[in-house]
Amino acid sequence: MSTAAFWALAVLAVASGIMVFRFDSMARATFSLLTALLCVGGELIVLGLDYLGVVTVLMMTIEMAIMAVFMIMFMMNPAGLMPMTMLHNRRGAALICAGSFTSLVVGILLVPWPRRVGRAPADPTMDLGMSLMGPQMLTMMTLGMALFATIVATVVLATRRGRYDRYGDDLRAARPDDPVRGGVGR
Amino acid sequence: MAEPAPPWAALVLPLALALVATALATADARSTGPGREVLRLLVQQRRITRAADVPLVRLATTLLPVAAVLAAAVLPLGFRPVSDLPDGIVWFNAMEALAWAAVWLAGWGPNSTLSLIGGYRFLAQGLAYELPHMLAITTAALGAQSLRVGAVADAQAGLWFAVWMPAAFGIYLLSALAMAFWGPFDQPVGRDTAGGAAAELSGVDRLVFLGGRRLLLVVAAAFSVPLFLGGGHGPLLPGWAWTLIKTAAVLGLLLWVRRRVPTVRTERYMELSWVVLTPLAVAQALVVAVVVLKK
Amino acid sequence: MDLRARLTRAALARPAVLLATSPGATRERLAVEAELGRRGWPSAAGPASADLLVFAGVPLPLRDDDWAERVWTAVPAPKARVTVTDAEHAAHTLDHGHRTLLTPAAHPAERHETATAAAPDHGPHDSQGSHGGMDHAHHGRPPGTVAGLPLAERAEDRDGLRLDRLHVPLGPALPDWPAGLVLRLELQGDVVRRAEVDPMPTPAASRPAFWSEPWLKALAGEPGTSGEAARRRCAAHLDSLGRFLGVAGWSDAATRARRARDRTLGDAHGEELRPLVHPLVRRVRKSRTLRWLTAGVGELPGGPVAGDAHSRLIGWLDGIEYALDAIGDRTPLADHPLIGPRGRVDDTEAPASRTLLAALPALLAGAEFACARLVVASLDPDLDELAARRAPDGRTHG
Repeated sequence: MSTAAFWALAVLAVASGIMVFRFDSMARATFSLLTALLCVGGELIVLGLDYLGVVTVLMMTIEMAIMAVFMIMFMMNPAGLMPMTMLHNRRGAALICAGSFTSLVVGILLVPWPRRVGRAPADPTMDLGMSLMGPQMLTMMTLGMALFATIVATVVLATRRGRYDRYGDDLRAARPDDPVRGGVGR
Repeated sequence: MAEPAPPWAALVLPLALALVATALATADARSTGPGREVLRLLVQQRRITRAADVPLVRLATTLLPVAAVLAAAVLPLGFRPVSDLPDGIVWFNAMEALAWAAVWLAGWGPNSTLSLIGGYRFLAQGLAYELPHMLAITTAALGAQSLRVGAVADAQAGLWFAVWMPAAFGIYLLSALAMAFWGPFDQPVGRDTAGGAAAELSGVDRLVFLGGRRLLLVVAAAFSVPLFLGGGHGPLLPGWAWTLIKTAAVLGLLLWVRRRVPTVRTERYMELSWVVLTPLAVAQALVVAVVVLKK
Repeated sequence: MDLRARLTRAALARPAVLLATSPGATRERLAVEAELGRRGWPSAAGPASADLLVFAGVPLPLRDDDWAERVWTAVPAPKARVTVTDAEHAAHTLDHGHRTLLTPAAHPAERHETATAAAPDHGPHDSQGSHGGMDHAHHGRPPGTVAGLPLAERAEDRDGLRLDRLHVPLGPALPDWPAGLVLRLELQGDVVRRAEVDPMPTPAASRPAFWSEPWLKALAGEPGTSGEAARRRCAAHLDSLGRFLGVAGWSDAATRARRARDRTLGDAHGEELRPLVHPLVRRVRKSRTLRWLTAGVGELPGGPVAGDAHSRLIGWLDGIEYALDAIGDRTPLADHPLIGPRGRVDDTEAPASRTLLAALPALLAGAEFACARLVVASLDPDLDELAARRAPDGRTHG
């Protein structure tokens, strides 16, 4: 049963991964990619890693939805039926693909895979949490802060308007000068 | 400890949800009853716009009810869900996020500006409500020290989470409305855009999409019961009855809010959500974490 | 077959109605809306959800664009359309439309491709292969069309990015929209970059504009009491209020406002109207959410409608209460200054609504779509006033 599910999801994931490059509409390509990633999430669940699988589904769905915002910014014709190829830099891409595929296959065939020791924990989610927040806590905290700082820094660099533009040179304006007023007035 | 329901429950679940949604529609009936409205949409022609992406539209309309039913799989009726996943809360969150994709595609597919605006609005609304929403449901999980929905309900045998996590409960109710784009958060299908994401849907497509939205509202409201209102716990009556009563009460509240409040626009709600609600949700989670550690 | 016919009959017992109003047809619109309220027929937000298409006033094409025909093609079968040209016969015409809808011959089974009416769909980029990748560059080219649908092209956005921009006409068949108004919008996402007012050609009216009728009559020397005028003003503001609340997404309050409007236009006494109007006015005035949502939208520094959408709304509420108290007034209207619901009616050069229309483009530029709708609804220009300007008989000119 789970072997069948594994293979079904695997084939579907690869097939929709290929379709990303066959479709000529950005919306279809995006959602084909989403299908592939949802199948990967399903694979994780089949392998018994429920939490990681479900989190993959959650994160990828939201991620692809956010992609759609950018799609609108740069391509406002809805339905996106303008044929538009999803392939760029064909020769370079072909070389990179062939190279990475070969090295992965070689790796799979040559590496001496370790035998399984011990048994799967009763609650892998708990073990995952213990491992992330136990021995790896420092790493995870540093990583989290670094990611957060990167996001903040990117937004600060990207925005054209700072607080002096919004609140005036002495920062005394009662209401910020924004193109559209927000709900709190900050 | 929740025991899983028998397998046939998986078949009954969509029917039960549809039943509650119909009851909701009857209570909410403005001029036409739900039965007649369904019949009207069934005899209506399915219409396609020029240069539409028909497969995407069909996918989008069916995805919405499917996501709602999948999310409901972890809902316990009394103490028995169809499937008591160890990460039920994350599962619910993930299925609810599928609605983002569904509404967005329904807006994009028909190749019409107004429906595109509707789909676009739902993404903005999603970005606004999702952050405090995730923190709120995490707070409930934190209080029970489990991501299993059954365990969260069991942790409230004594005191309901709604009582000692009022901020998280309030935020959850707001986001329940927002995720089903219902009531004051109906901007994605607002009348000002001639129906928004649903503007170009007719006939069966419209029925499935708007029906899916009602299912989503029922599921979102019902999920607040095990999360914050003590699940099936209560005196005298059996667990399933308490679940139904509490769900009906939450739905009644949501219907009432819809009558009393105009549509909340995202550009206003976004700032409120990120500047006020998110810090509030973090503070609530902190309080709960301290209480749980002290125990 | 019999079963099928019976099912259709049951399904369409209360058809969803899309009402498209032509300029100068306010009387017909009000009659149809009141009749729909009586019958409990739902109103459709767009053609896709409608069964019965009702034109209030004969729809005239806008330049070469036969918008009425486009709306009609966009309605899915089974469907029927009727045109109400006389307010007296609204109920009769609706009955006729309903009968047509239920006749089996009226539903052709074939599906056809349709375009939307509220905003014609604009299609794909051209497929001539001039752009090969994601960075499809058509900066230098003028906006083209494919299959009659305009394309998007790049332009600076509000924040200085270069983003796709779409040309969209808004109106004339939108719910809660001033009859006959068409806005040519340039949209980026749902942000309006630029807006041009393009009012429909208004037929020369034989009757004065409905909402300023009492004042125009007084101007022409006909007798009339200020009580009648107050009734008309009260109804006009309730009509504006209903549309504004509809756009703001408060359907419950909007329905109450419309019901109160219909009763006001009927011959209900002031005492009868008070329990209908006062609770509504109080609730709208006190709604903090509504204030939070509409404050700062469409702010005008000066002029007759200065302030933001919310202060204009409060102005209507004050006007409603004031007019409600004056409904019993029997003094001749000619003794009072002739100020209609939207402003002075005796200014022959510029009717008040022309000023309102002139304010629109500046207010709409940079607004988000929902705000743009609120701005239009909060100004609520009455294009009938413009129609009356062209009236052949001098009576309405004043």
